[in-house]
Amino acid sequence: MLKQILCIDDDPITLMLSKKVISKADFSELVITAQNGEEALSYFNALKYGKDQSIKKPQLIFLDLNMPVMGGWEFLDHFISSDYDEFNSIPVIVLSSTINPEDLDKAKKYPIIIDFLSKPITLQMLEYLKNKIES
Amino acid sequence: MQLTNEEIKESNEKYDIVAKATSDTIWDWRIQEDYITWNKGIENVFGYRQSDVGATSKWWFDKIHPEDSIRMSVKLYSFIEQKTEKWQDQYRFRCVDGSYKYVLDRGFLLKDENGKAIRMIGAIQDITKQKEEEQRLKLLETVIIQSKDSILITEANSTDGKIPRIVYVNPAFSKMSGYESDEILGQSPNVFKGPNSDSEALKKVLKAIKEEKECLIETISYRKDKKEYWVRFSMIPIFNSEGVLSHWISIQQDITEERKLETEKEHLIRELTQNNKDLKQFSYITSHNLRAPLSNLMGLLNLIEYIPIDNPELQEILNGFYKSTYLLNETINDLVKVIIIKDNPSMQKEMVSLAEVFENVFGQLSFQIEAHKPIIKLKLDKVPLLNTNKAYIESILLNLLTNSIKYKSENRKLKISITAEQIDQKVFLTFTDNGIGIDLERNGDKVFGLYQRFHNYPDSKGLGLYLVKSQVETMGGTISVESEVNKGTSFIIVFKN
Repeated sequence: MLKQILCIDDDPITLMLSKKVISKADFSELVITAQNGEEALSYFNALKYGKDQSIKKPQLIFLDLNMPVMGGWEFLDHFISSDYDEFNSIPVIVLSSTINPEDLDKAKKYPIIIDFLSKPITLQMLEYLKNKIES
Repeated sequence: MQLTNEEIKESNEKYDIVAKATSDTIWDWRIQEDYITWNKGIENVFGYRQSDVGATSKWWFDKIHPEDSIRMSVKLYSFIEQKTEKWQDQYRFRCVDGSYKYVLDRGFLLKDENGKAIRMIGAIQDITKQKEEEQRLKLLETVIIQSKDSILITEANSTDGKIPRIVYVNPAFSKMSGYESDEILGQSPNVFKGPNSDSEALKKVLKAIKEEKECLIETISYRKDKKEYWVRFSMIPIFNSEGVLSHWISIQQDITEERKLETEKEHLIRELTQNNKDLKQFSYITSHNLRAPLSNLMGLLNLIEYIPIDNPELQEILNGFYKSTYLLNETINDLVKVIIIKDNPSMQKEMVSLAEVFENVFGQLSFQIEAHKPIIKLKLDKVPLLNTNKAYIESILLNLLTNSIKYKSENRKLKISITAEQIDQKVFLTFTDNGIGIDLERNGDKVFGLYQRFHNYPDSKGLGLYLVKSQVETMGGTISVESEVNKGTSFIIVFKN
């Protein structure tokens, strides 16, 4: 079981659902959420510059693409820059409802994205990811 | 008299020498006696042996082409009667083989002391070659005169840095430009230039003239009344036999209409491309916005499965909730497939084993097959391998098989037969069932349409066959249907293989 993961999604119901399924699957002990890319970046900034050393960095990120304020692609472009060197080895899983083939092609250009999955999050999906991460 | 005889003798000798030396046909006509003699030319040029040749003028006149003979004899007799000074004429003279030669005949009179014509001597020159050349040139000239393209000819060189001066324009040019031939001869084609003419194109022409090379431009030109028109304009250098530039030929076409249509077409294409792009984007966004809340519903319903529910009414409501959500999800997934197919007209093909494809499809339908136990006959051995897209062919067969199960007859056991045949370069996949069928007389043109439903079944969405047709056509195939109500339905799919 992972210690801590980050879910970035603007839809509170999706976040609630993710938390419930993740806990049911015993996928991670702790789920942190952010409502868009900007919130997620502030979270990482707080980790970097904050004094509280007890906060651990997440081991995995679930990322939605279409979000207000800052979407998934813009978040990734910031996140893979040198400003976030301490964090950008964390693997990212895109979890989206998009069907735009351009999104799928784009995802292939980001080595940090280890999978591109279609919503909703399910127990089977988490089992599959467990196997993928462990192997 | 003695002297005269001497003179005649001498003159005859001279005549004989000339008659032998010339290639012309010489005739000598004693008018009063109506007695004509001919030299060798009558044989060499026209093929008559001396024995064939008649001794009277009648023989001569008989050989003249009927269309020329009256005109010719009128002229000849007015000369003999000395109403005219000189005589020469062109006419057609018949050869021994019946063909005619164009000739130029020139003659003079010998007169007696009273001034009366007693003898006429003539020389016939064969001008057939010149005549034919003249007719050929006339024919070539009609090309220029009748041409719908404007043609103008200019001098070789210009002295003032303009296009060289015009020496000829054809009627089409006058029509196009509004300038009559005499108004424009001696001018430079620079006069057709105006404020909206393409000065770069004009420079190109001047450069080509300097280099004595051919060139082609399109520019706005000006008519005499200053009206603009688009012209396609070529300049072709003409060299004489010594290789020295002698003239320029310019061929011009009014392409105003062509230009206008082209501009309109480009505009239309731009607009359509943009609309298409917008619509595509719109469909992606719409489907995303539909899928996002729907995936939440699906996820939440999945979670409910793990919570025990005691209230039977709530359970019933949740079951309805569940079914509707799943149906909505399937519909949207099918629509998404359609959007992606329409967006992606070319796709990867590979060699696929048909037996394997059916194994996969039956695997996905194992629950329904177990429930209804249809009799399925497969005859695929004629076409073991098919060059196709695996995902598409599976989706096609899955849809057809699901339809057969969904629309089976309640009165008889479901039988499905699937055969594959190779005929020439084509594969025929025939998919037949004994289900309730479709009334093709009423619905024939709608079978493969979007949102067309033919039976009142709660889980029919009117999408399956539309999707099947889209997938078949994307792979370059065709699909047709044969059906009879209460007998069954056949789908025939043809692929190139």
